Amino acid sequence: MKRTYERMPRVLGLGIALAVLAGGASAAGLAVKPLAAGLSFDSLTRTVVWQGDEADSRLAASLFTARAELGLGGRGIVLGLFAGLALSDASGLVFRGLPISLQYDGSAVAGLAFGADLLAPITRLGEFEIKGAGRIVYMSGMSKTWPLEGFAVEGQAKGKPGWLEASVGPRVEYRFFGKVVPYVELSARWLTASFRMDETLGELEGSETKKVGGDFAFGAALGADAEVSRRVALRGRIGIMPFAGGVDTLATVGVLYRF
Amino acid sequence: MMKNRLTGILKGLAVLAVVLAAVPAAGDASGPRQTGGRTKRVSLPALRTAPALRAERPLVKRRGSRYSPDRVLVRFRPTVASEYAEGLLRSYGFPSFRRIPGIGVWSVGTAPGVTVIETLAMLRRNADIELARPDYRARLADVPNDAYFLSYQYSLRNLGGVLDIGPSVQPQITAGADIKAVPAWDAAKGDPELLIAIVDTGLDLSHPDLATKVYSSGYDFANDDDEADDDHWHGTHVAGIAAADTGNSLGIAGVAWNCKLLPVKVTDASGDGYYSWIIDGIIWAVDQGADVINISMGGEYNDAFLEDACKYAYDHGVVVVAAAGNDGGAGVLYPAAYDDYVLAVAASDYDDEIVSWSNYGPQVDVAAPGVYILSTAPRAYVGTGNPPYLFASGTSMAAPHVSGLAALIKSLKPGLSVADVMNVIRYTADDVNAATAPGLDDHAGYGRVNMERALTPYVIR
Repeated sequence: MKRTYERMPRVLGLGIALAVLAGGASAAGLAVKPLAAGLSFDSLTRTVVWQGDEADSRLAASLFTARAELGLGGRGIVLGLFAGLALSDASGLVFRGLPISLQYDGSAVAGLAFGADLLAPITRLGEFEIKGAGRIVYMSGMSKTWPLEGFAVEGQAKGKPGWLEASVGPRVEYRFFGKVVPYVELSARWLTASFRMDETLGELEGSETKKVGGDFAFGAALGADAEVSRRVALRGRIGIMPFAGGVDTLATVGVLYRF
Repeated sequence: MMKNRLTGILKGLAVLAVVLAAVPAAGDASGPRQTGGRTKRVSLPALRTAPALRAERPLVKRRGSRYSPDRVLVRFRPTVASEYAEGLLRSYGFPSFRRIPGIGVWSVGTAPGVTVIETLAMLRRNADIELARPDYRARLADVPNDAYFLSYQYSLRNLGGVLDIGPSVQPQITAGADIKAVPAWDAAKGDPELLIAIVDTGLDLSHPDLATKVYSSGYDFANDDDEADDDHWHGTHVAGIAAADTGNSLGIAGVAWNCKLLPVKVTDASGDGYYSWIIDGIIWAVDQGADVINISMGGEYNDAFLEDACKYAYDHGVVVVAAAGNDGGAGVLYPAAYDDYVLAVAASDYDDEIVSWSNYGPQVDVAAPGVYILSTAPRAYVGTGNPPYLFASGTSMAAPHVSGLAALIKSLKPGLSVADVMNVIRYTADDVNAATAPGLDDHAGYGRVNMERALTPYVIR
């Protein structure tokens, strides 16, 4: 079973702050364009234990976002802001607090996702450049309604998921290839999630909100940024988050246009 | 020098990250009467020692991952040759795969680091593949090992065939005409702290299939003493249906495996009693902490005091279940007819048909099996040398099925109100007479109770 770390938001916040401070202390003069915009697709899975459950279940999400990047202060610090659509799937989640227990095994629920990330240079050692990376993503699902069939009376269930993930860690870039910059990224990742389900069946009514109070994981990712032209860059990243008995995954692809 | 060492460490980290990425993913004209008067003593069960039953309890696996984390099942389109399918799977880089003969399904091991979901998504994009599914986990159902369960307790699990009660009684029964107890027991077997009061003729307190389930010696309102021993047979039979000792390799299985029984005797040895005794019994049971009260008896007369007693139970969070009556006519007996406070139960049979002698009226809430129901019987009644079990028929036998279910619901969801528990039982029933009376009707109410639907999660797809 995975452990919950309630203090992780503070730790992650501190990490991000240190990364920013470190960035301010070095790597001045890197060629960071002041403004860029692009599109990206993110996919991630997290194996979590919802409060009150005895077994774990998998939370999977896909995000299609538009992003803007802003170079800060000419020190190589890059702030990214993004927003878009998200699909969130919590299959296997069981709501036993309702008059009639419900097991969610439906299709993914759509929602809105928005967040920010920060990349700040720390130091450079030969062809290697070490950066601090921080990212926070919030997904707010739209309510979805399902009919409850097979009962003596008519009924429906209405669900609304939501989650927030924050991550922070070092990124080591290898700058030997010039326009293609592969990197290795290690991250500490904290996730909080909720899924509210309302049930109405004849005169029966119930509501239950399942929560993940704060699930912590370590992740490792391999990625690369590639400059296709002076203004266009492609990005890709795949990663894993191992846990006892399995591994969660993450992947990102994107394209960026620098103004 | 220092810089070169740091560079070496960083190269090592990069290699480590690559290695990590390669890790595998893992119910008297002046008083009430019992409603279960159709009995048949049984001696045959003693001749049947149920040799096929095994003594050990089956293994029960609790829910973990719902499917294998490293294997999927795939079927190619009929036009795809086996050799081509094998080559295709090899080209995907799957570390292992084998063909399951007969139905053309392949069991495929997922590639290291690739999840089942990702593997299925990849395979479903291939036009040659007809179906790709997770390899779901199966588990042994928690079937009780009680000696007569498999052969005689069709009401809990009806596999069809012949119900062999004796040379003159061998009805053909319909598979599935039952209350779906077995799958429901996987969700709930009952809270041992939960009490089902049997307001009836008393109970054989030392019956081998009941003794461990008796919470206390109860109270005898007919004789005004504190030992509700059964000098009839009815109460003992009703009690066993609701909550006989289950999983003890002996006799029968009860609906509520783990719940306790509170005997309350409200009739004399002839099986007759007065409303005042029933009223006393209900109030006493509530005050003793009963969670569910089964009343397999009733009278034709509406009585405000009897209704007040039922309301007292309802207001104290106690679910009251009562038999509709066996006169076969219009008019549900009291207290079953107190619609606001009591669940009225009609009787169905081994074919899921509502029996002709079951009383009917708008107060009927649900039906439950009440024909040839095998249950516990007082040893003094059956006589020395005979197994202490009887087949009996009546709405009296139907009601305790529902009481057991009410107890299981309260065990699983202690926060539900009495009204909610009653509605869960109603709404989850199977409309077994839909062909002649679809929906809520006077004969079956909402239908024959369905334990599985009441207790296991409804799957949103």
